[in-house]
Amino acid sequence: MSDEEHHFEAKGDAGASKTYPQQAGTIRKNGYIVIKGRPCKVVEVSTSKTGKHGHAKCHFVGIDIFTAKKLEDIVPSSHNCDVPHVNRTDYQLIDISEDGFVSLLTESGGTKDDLRLPTDENMLSQIKEGFESGKDLVLSVMSAMGEEQICALKDIGPK
Amino acid sequence: MQGFSERGGGPLDLAQLQSTMHAIELACASIQMHMNPAAAEATILSLSQSSQPYQACKFILENSQMANARFQAAAAIRNAAIREWGFLTSDDKRNLISFCLCFVMQHANSPEGYVQVKVSSVAAQLLKRGWLDFTAAEKEAFFNQVNQAVSGIHGVDVQFTGINFLESLVSEFSPSTSSAMGLPREFHEQCRKSLELNHLKIFYCWARDAALSVTNRITESDSAIPEVKVCTAALRLMLQILNWDFLSSSSGAATSTSIFQIGGRQGSDSPKKSECNLVQPGPAWRDVLVTSGHIGWLLNLYAALRHKFSCEGYWLDCPIAVSARKLIVQFCSLTGTIFPSDNPQMYEHHILQLLSGIIQWIDPPDAVSKAIECGKSESEMLDGCRALLSIATVTTPSMFDQLLKSTRPFGALTLLSTLMCEVVKILMTNNSEEEAWSWEARDILLDAWTAILVPLERNGGYALLPPEGKNAAASLFALIVEAELKAAAASAFKDDDDSDYLQASISAMDERLSSYALIGRAAIDVTIPLLSRLFSERFLRLNQGRGIVDMTETLEELYSLLLITGHVIADEGEGETPLVPNAIQTRFSDIVEADKHPVIVLFSSVIRFAEQSLDPEMRQSVFSPRLMEAVIWFLARWSCTYLMPPEENRELNSRKVLLGFFGQHNQGKLVLDIIVRISMTALVSYPGEKDLQALTCYRLLHTLVLQKHICLHIVALDSWRDLANAFANGETLFMLNTAHQRSLAQTLVRSASGIRNSESANQYVRDLLGHMARYLAEISSKNDIKIVAQRPNTILLVSCFLERLRGSASASEPRTQKAIYELGFSVLNSVLVLLEVYKHESAVVYLLLKFVVAWVDGQISYLETQETAVVVNFCMSLLQIYSSHNIGKISLSLSNSLLSEAKTEKYKDLRALLQLLSNLCSKDLVDFSSESSETQGTNISQVVYYGLHIVTPLISLDLLKYPKLCYDYFSLLSHLLEVYPETVAQLNSEAFSQVLATLDFGLHHQDTEIVDMCLRALRALASYHYVETSAGKVGLGSHATGLTYRSGNLQEGILSRFLRSLLQLLLFEDYSPDLVSSAADALLPLMLCEQGVYQRLVSELIGRQTNPTLRSRLVNALQSLTSTNHLSSTLDRKNYQIFRKNLKTFLIEVRGFLRTV
Repeated sequence: MSDEEHHFEAKGDAGASKTYPQQAGTIRKNGYIVIKGRPCKVVEVSTSKTGKHGHAKCHFVGIDIFTAKKLEDIVPSSHNCDVPHVNRTDYQLIDISEDGFVSLLTESGGTKDDLRLPTDENMLSQIKEGFESGKDLVLSVMSAMGEEQICALKDIGPK
Repeated sequence: MQGFSERGGGPLDLAQLQSTMHAIELACASIQMHMNPAAAEATILSLSQSSQPYQACKFILENSQMANARFQAAAAIRNAAIREWGFLTSDDKRNLISFCLCFVMQHANSPEGYVQVKVSSVAAQLLKRGWLDFTAAEKEAFFNQVNQAVSGIHGVDVQFTGINFLESLVSEFSPSTSSAMGLPREFHEQCRKSLELNHLKIFYCWARDAALSVTNRITESDSAIPEVKVCTAALRLMLQILNWDFLSSSSGAATSTSIFQIGGRQGSDSPKKSECNLVQPGPAWRDVLVTSGHIGWLLNLYAALRHKFSCEGYWLDCPIAVSARKLIVQFCSLTGTIFPSDNPQMYEHHILQLLSGIIQWIDPPDAVSKAIECGKSESEMLDGCRALLSIATVTTPSMFDQLLKSTRPFGALTLLSTLMCEVVKILMTNNSEEEAWSWEARDILLDAWTAILVPLERNGGYALLPPEGKNAAASLFALIVEAELKAAAASAFKDDDDSDYLQASISAMDERLSSYALIGRAAIDVTIPLLSRLFSERFLRLNQGRGIVDMTETLEELYSLLLITGHVIADEGEGETPLVPNAIQTRFSDIVEADKHPVIVLFSSVIRFAEQSLDPEMRQSVFSPRLMEAVIWFLARWSCTYLMPPEENRELNSRKVLLGFFGQHNQGKLVLDIIVRISMTALVSYPGEKDLQALTCYRLLHTLVLQKHICLHIVALDSWRDLANAFANGETLFMLNTAHQRSLAQTLVRSASGIRNSESANQYVRDLLGHMARYLAEISSKNDIKIVAQRPNTILLVSCFLERLRGSASASEPRTQKAIYELGFSVLNSVLVLLEVYKHESAVVYLLLKFVVAWVDGQISYLETQETAVVVNFCMSLLQIYSSHNIGKISLSLSNSLLSEAKTEKYKDLRALLQLLSNLCSKDLVDFSSESSETQGTNISQVVYYGLHIVTPLISLDLLKYPKLCYDYFSLLSHLLEVYPETVAQLNSEAFSQVLATLDFGLHHQDTEIVDMCLRALRALASYHYVETSAGKVGLGSHATGLTYRSGNLQEGILSRFLRSLLQLLLFEDYSPDLVSSAADALLPLMLCEQGVYQRLVSELIGRQTNPTLRSRLVNALQSLTSTNHLSSTLDRKNYQIFRKNLKTFLIEVRGFLRTV
């Protein structure tokens, strides 16, 4: 029960751990899970038994939230799995530079310039087109286990 | 391809016909070769869509060498003639039919059967289309021709063709197999009645005579001869006619006094799988079917065929044998007024005669099954089983049993039992999956048992079962249990990974077990001790072998045994409280001591066994998750019926003993406590066993608290308090699946109905959930919430609490309403904060929305004016925040499946929002608040329109492709328009045009139900406007009259726009004929509102028609649309009905030529 203690009252040191343990049986579809060291979104959970009178095990199908690769894992449902700490932050898009980086406005008024544009053509064009047509765009940036990526954009229209 | 239109002038010249033929042949060939099929199809389509293509079609039929082209030509005749039927001359019509008939007769020996079948079905369809117009003499002329063919004077091939034509005709007239003709259902109904009254029996006689005429030649020959084909077709036609849904079977119930009418029972709730339709043609058929020796002939024919199975050309499954057997089985279902009620011998004789023929197929059972195992075809035996099923369905059990005694030393029940025992033995020995015949035979025979036993069970009349039958049932049940246990032990080590298949097989197994239970109950005094013995044997084995040998086989046997026993002792409640099964109530009446009552002994031993799961060591070694599932399932089923039954009607001694033993004043409380403790164990000590926990939450605990008298005792138990405490303050239950936590919250709150004092009930709810509400309020007021909230452990906790609150909200009852309102109220702000914080965490957003939906649903009808305003404001903020997060948002991801997940999540959110709006709507329908709702309260309709206005932009056309969302959306919209048209009138023009664009979209939707809802909404709008303006008020005001923009453009009023699009839809587009009535209801008020526009549209329509004859027909039809049947300009019920009728006639009259290309 010892690792359940911080479930109830979260400690003050923010973002200290990249993952948290959680019982496999409680992880649901649309939740997150670490499979083979990669943060994934769960798209399918099924349970089966090890032999008719054995214990249940969970079969997870996850999709790597950064690379979109499909990963699978089987875990006894009473065991713990790692759940990644997935953070999302909104920034206003200020500029797109020639060398493939974006310039973003943070909430505190500073800028964040270390984020690359996605390499995927389709995603790239969605961001570029929006920017070039002069819309005010907000980008959501997803970060987990030391990686970041743009995950959504939203037109907030003229102020 | 500009069609093959011609007509206009005289006959076509040969060259033109030739070229049409070549075009069609070319098209057919290229379809076959897969070369440019779209163009080829267009060519073929243009033939059937051109005006009067008959001459060309006939030419192709007669001259083309290509069968496919002939087939297409026949289809074109059909399509064109059905469309143009209204304005063909009666000579044309007759000529088309007799052309088709003559064609099939002349080409009777053609090898291309499918062309023949097509042409003859075209003839049948055209004959039906004109059925109500043709005079009796005209029909007679056609039928004379057919009769001559069927009688065989033109040879075997023509005879066969004639019978085939009758077959198409009968299937065309039977509603379930008829083809669509764009006519109302009444037409098909009239045709059906007319055929049944005037022709069906004659056709039957023709078929019989045709078969008779060739019987001798078939029986005398030793090899297959052409006559066999005729006989097979005739048998098939007879079978088809006996399958007809006779009128007397539905309406003749009033005259049913004969004892055989008990046969007319076909309980809709009987768990039967096999088809067994009753054949009830009524007394008019008596001479043909019963008294003419017809059945004798049929049985002799089949007997003769049986001798030929060794000859060349005949075998057990040859078409003629199959048809003959099917017909014989069909005769077994013959019942109703065809047998005179004053002459029971006639019926008995009929059945006996059939049985004497059928018995050879199945008796002696062991020899029959051995022969099948050695390679004989099983179809005869299966048909024999089907015949038994049919007879069992139409007779009483005692009569069924008596039947056989005149020819055999045993009754039919014994035969049924031995037959089934054989089948079960075969199933036991070779348990391979390919052995399909024994499975099928078992299912049919089980159905036969069900047919016999269900009525007995219902009337409490197991006493009516003859003792021999009881013995038969007892030995069969014992064998079945043995077989099931053996199968269980054998499968114990198999890994069933295929979960989809498993689900299907579970429900099949459930059905099978209910049938077994019926057999078991028929011999309950043997069955119960047997089950007790089997249990104690296995308990003993477990205790001896525990920890020493592998127990898996025994565990699986116990699993199976628990399921079987559960089915025998109690019925499935399905939400109701099931009664103690009659058999158990009425037997054992001589036993008054509880400890000797076999049923009590059985129950006690199972409960004692279950109780052992509380011991950790036993749990470890014996109670596997799967066995525990069976235990929980059994306890749930058992407690519904036997735990603390309501104390009434205790007149019977034995019942008193049985029911009293587990009643509230005896062992009931003790057992309840055990059950609660076992449930707690299942939830806590089996981490991650979702199936087990689902059963515990949904089946066991949930059903316990549904009964109020159980709640009274359950809340007083320490074990229940422990559970509530663990839920409120402990951490172990967070490990449950969140959906199970929701169910548990619901259960715990619902049990508060057992607390007598209302104040303490509310306090109980507060203690249960207060901690969670406080946590949500606390976390949402933290400064660093944005960081804290994203941690996985916080997300887990917030999700659990939201699900629990949602569960408790859905358990709202008047008594605990106050506490649940306060709880919800205390987190309203937090909900909005969390919605902001978790805007990217769609899983949490969905939980938030669902909690609000459930809470509003439970509370809205109790709220006072002040509270309503608060809740409504909250809901509007919620909608606005949700909308501001999602409008214009584009998800980016490399993964397509994640993108489609995102779309699905959005869909679910929107459904929840629509539900929320519908829940708000219900405030106007059900309101328990103390103040009268009239005064200065919130105007719900305005609020909901406003809400809809926020939600609508989020719903994209893509999302409307989800049928449920689409349905919810349109039902909410049409509800609003129907109930509050006056609020629509007050909407601003942007909101208004949004509503209308949606309606317009819905009108052209594929789903009939959606279109129907839109039509209802239109009707409401238009009739509101009409009534209001007639009374001198504004109605829809500027929305209806149209607007002139500053630019000078005139925007058309909405009513005239809809009038136009509705007319367009009705006249030129495809729609289901079911919609015509609601379309008429919408069209009438629209026409009345916009009479000027209607006149203009009408004259446009007429102006476009160039053909003078058609134009005058159109003018007349339009004229009678608005003037026949005394249509007036009021909007009352009668007028609507008249207009519906007028519109139907109008559409039949004009759609045919308006839609011609």
